[in-house]
Amino acid sequence: MAHWLPSLVRRRSGGGWCRSQRRKDASIGPLSGRGNKDSVATISQAQTIVRRRTARERVVASSLWVTAREAFWIALEALNTHKLRSFLTLLGVVIATTTLIVVMSIINGMNLYIADHIANLGANTFVLHQWKWAQGYEAWLKARRRNKPIRMEDFEFLKDNLKGYKNIGAEAMVWRSDNQVRYKGRTVYEVRVSGDTPNMIDIGQAKVEAGRYFTETDYRHEAMVCFVGRDIIDEFFPSVDPLGKEIQVNGIPFTIVGIAERIGKTFGESEDNFVQIPLSTYGKLFMARPQLAVSVQAWNTQQMLILEDEVRALMRGRHHLPYKEDDDFGINASETLMDAWNKLMGGIFAVTIGIVAVFMVVGGIVIMNIMLASVTERTHEIGIRKSLGARRRDILMQFIIESAVMACTGGGAGVILAVLISKIVDIFFTASVPLNAVLVGLFLSTAVGLFFGIYPASKAAKLDPIEALRTEA
Amino acid sequence: MGSQAELSSAQEIAAPPDGTVIRTENLWKTYDMGAIAVHALCGVSFEIHRGEYVAIMGPSGSGKSTLMNLIGCLDTPTKGRYWLNGRLVSELSDDELAYIRNKEIGFVFQTFNLLARATALHNVELPLIYNGTPAKERIEKAQEALRKVDLADRMMHKPSELSGGQRQRVAIARALVNNPSIILADEPTGNLDSATGEEIMNLFERLYQSGNTIVLVTHEHDIAAHAHRIIHVRDGKIERDESVS
Repeated sequence: MAHWLPSLVRRRSGGGWCRSQRRKDASIGPLSGRGNKDSVATISQAQTIVRRRTARERVVASSLWVTAREAFWIALEALNTHKLRSFLTLLGVVIATTTLIVVMSIINGMNLYIADHIANLGANTFVLHQWKWAQGYEAWLKARRRNKPIRMEDFEFLKDNLKGYKNIGAEAMVWRSDNQVRYKGRTVYEVRVSGDTPNMIDIGQAKVEAGRYFTETDYRHEAMVCFVGRDIIDEFFPSVDPLGKEIQVNGIPFTIVGIAERIGKTFGESEDNFVQIPLSTYGKLFMARPQLAVSVQAWNTQQMLILEDEVRALMRGRHHLPYKEDDDFGINASETLMDAWNKLMGGIFAVTIGIVAVFMVVGGIVIMNIMLASVTERTHEIGIRKSLGARRRDILMQFIIESAVMACTGGGAGVILAVLISKIVDIFFTASVPLNAVLVGLFLSTAVGLFFGIYPASKAAKLDPIEALRTEA
Repeated sequence: MGSQAELSSAQEIAAPPDGTVIRTENLWKTYDMGAIAVHALCGVSFEIHRGEYVAIMGPSGSGKSTLMNLIGCLDTPTKGRYWLNGRLVSELSDDELAYIRNKEIGFVFQTFNLLARATALHNVELPLIYNGTPAKERIEKAQEALRKVDLADRMMHKPSELSGGQRQRVAIARALVNNPSIILADEPTGNLDSATGEEIMNLFERLYQSGNTIVLVTHEHDIAAHAHRIIHVRDGKIERDESVS
């Protein structure tokens, strides 16, 4: 402690303070100052100054806190007194916050929806297909031209050469709008007809509700059996057990051996309007060389990434692709779809941010205006406070806090409004309020209040107390 | 931030203790109105000792308001020096002046100057808020001050619910709450009828008897006569300084 005591040496010169330079080798003992007789002569006097100084600094610090609390209550009271004016003032901030949170909720809801319905390829599963999904129309056209479809030979090749997978299955499907399924004079149109390997029930989304899926025997014998989605069942067999019944798929009879659990709708389209038959049967009847989507299921997520790389390597080798060229096939995992989706959502969000920013700035300017008017109105009051000992920083803090509290209240109102709107939207579409949106909304509105309150507050702080007291209340 | 503390504590050591509460030396206050300089005060020097009851009297334009502003540390002189309680306050910064006002000066204004939307109690505790006194202590001291002016039963009333005399008493309680060195009253009865005015002047007498130093600024001789010493001011100078028994 001794080494900085010399800095408290005072020189008496016209009432001003100046610090002497620190002496690095000062020792404890009477300080000789710099030959200046007026210097503080003893340690004890200097220590008294230090004690008083720290005590006063504590007072100053705690007084800021006390003033802050006082300012907080004043702010709430001011809001309460001028309800209509406060409402109009905060409109910009409220709208901005509400917009931000509602959009974030809708995006959040859609993200959850997408993750559930579309990106859900199955746990730890990825799909090898002719092209990469969800890459945009032009990319798809290019891929169709350049890439070769995945065929049974590729599937067999991977089955033999890929190591360590939990399951590898294949599905063949050509989306035709004229697939029909008939039973006793009734028809269901636009059915999704696919040929699957027997292990697709373990890999894919569908689950058996009654009956069974295909067996290896069915597969080997190219059996005329089918696994049917709920929409078909609801249409043909509302009250009768469908197992064992025969339906006509594109004119060809198949026996129902199993029924799937209901999956539900995605973006309004039903996922339950399908018929699955063994892939071998599909190859025999509908398409001689079926184009496949090969699903590889890993034991866990890390292994899935490893397997993705291995499949990529194997396929590139098989296609003799040089190092520099892109894949001429598509490896699709949940991330692929989520990435494409996030890009889309990102675009929407960017536009929203722009709108919200504009509203926030406008709202902030309105707050600044009202605070300026408030300062003018309360000039006399500010004079009173200054005469009682309020320093500039006390007045500054009072008005900044008022501005921030006002804006934060607007933010809070925006949050409540946004939650209500989101609940309504969720009934018709999808929206789920994420917690970070609420926090961002509140934080942002408070920050706007703080920032736009600085100018009026500093005007208030700079008022001359005598002039202010002369102003009429 | 610590400079005001350093300043006052250093000057406590530096200035010679001489028992005066107020000591002014050749105070000048000049306002620069472009081409013309207006001298509101022209070299005012006087002393006021602890426990005195002084009135500063003069017609409007005499400079008494300017002098009051200087004494109350609302302003600093253009020239000259002013020691308040041994501290040289005439060259302090705005923040330092605010600190001094809070601790040493108890203002009482002609127009009361209370916060209209706050209760009497809150009005009285305001100076304590600005020096960081915690809430419990604040309430106690404020209640004590209100008791001293016989308004303990009206603590939670707003100024609009109080009579003129009661409002002034709230203002006086506020002035007392920090135990200031001086009570500085500017035409305290100017907005009151004569009966209430007398009540207030009696209160000031009581405060003087309990040891407070009181400086009264007025243009009315009847009011000034309540004090025990009158400093007459005219044209920015002290005309006469008389003791009144």
